[in-house]
Amino acid sequence: MKFLLLAAAETGQVHLTARTRIVAAILAVFFMLMILELIRRDKLQERYSVIWFVAGLGMLAGAAFPGLLEVVASVMGVRNTNVALFSIVLLLLLGLALNFSVIMSRQAAQITRLAQERAIEKAAKQAAEERNGSAPSGEQALQPEEERLES
Amino acid sequence: MRTLVFIPAWNEEASIASVIADVRKAIPAADVLVVDDGSTDATAERARAAGALVASLPFNQGLGAALQTGYLYSLRSGYDACAHLDADGQHPAEEVARLLGEVTADRADLVIGSRYHEGAVAASGDYKPTISRRIGTSVFRFFLTLATRQRFTDTTSGMRAANRRVMALFSVHYSPDFAEIESLQLAVRQGLRVEELPVRMLERVGGSSFLTPLRSAFFIFKGLVVLLVGQFRPRHAEAKQ
Repeated sequence: MKFLLLAAAETGQVHLTARTRIVAAILAVFFMLMILELIRRDKLQERYSVIWFVAGLGMLAGAAFPGLLEVVASVMGVRNTNVALFSIVLLLLLGLALNFSVIMSRQAAQITRLAQERAIEKAAKQAAEERNGSAPSGEQALQPEEERLES
Repeated sequence: MRTLVFIPAWNEEASIASVIADVRKAIPAADVLVVDDGSTDATAERARAAGALVASLPFNQGLGAALQTGYLYSLRSGYDACAHLDADGQHPAEEVARLLGEVTADRADLVIGSRYHEGAVAASGDYKPTISRRIGTSVFRFFLTLATRQRFTDTTSGMRAANRRVMALFSVHYSPDFAEIESLQLAVRQGLRVEELPVRMLERVGGSSFLTPLRSAFFIFKGLVVLLVGQFRPRHAEAKQ
């Protein structure tokens, strides 16, 4: 057993099998087709699809040219190419998650500003009505307006 | 000199009318705006009935976004000075008037009402902080003082007065998550004159503080992260006028 392990260590890298490569290639193609379909049905905007196409192409490249992956593995100092593959995918997913957090933050800020603009508009309208209108109480002047807006 | 006093309120129907009445009595020249932060109770109706303008956010956005709404409204409507206070009745309006006085006399751009300043007089019925709040307060006090090289005693005070320079800054940059502390850091870094004034605050009328020990710890941690990040934000010569 010990001898076997040592032998493995001496033979160097552990490679992807041909079957793994075929499965990966099929999955990558399927994945990109799925993205195309999502865009076609307006479920995914083009600007958010670019990163997924890059991921799909990366998968395809890894399957077609396993030498690439082995170069990366040796750069990372990892003997097992599969481990290198998992690490890369994990990093990619981390990057994507971060990207989503950035997009989410931007959209949260936009939503907040939209809500603020609407609130301010309503208050400005109330102020204008109180200046112009003879209604001494803002409540009476605005109540019907409010109900119309809410319903 | 046109002045706006705004009150961020989230489900404060019990106290909002008396707070508005207090402000109108102590600062009769000021317009009063209630920023209703997505209240589900009668806060907006009571505020309108009490004679205040109401800016209703369509859903609850948090204190930072509500305060920013007030600053944005002040800026857009051309007010020369603005002030804000809490809706729960902890902040006496005559103290807000003193803060506004500092701003209108142009002694400072932003004035903070401090309940911990040595000058703050304690009377019966006045504000008494809990232990966890006391710890949080001193931690923030220490780090904010370190970050800004200016002494602050009450970093989370929600009673402030400001001029147009501050409105212009806060209507663009105002952190929704940690508004009170980060805004002070930002204002000092932007070269604005920030000043603390000792004020009296009252014990809250109803309800309890949302801070449990665990929440306080998280709150403090989050605050420190925010302060640290704030130190790396670009420093501008002056805020947009």
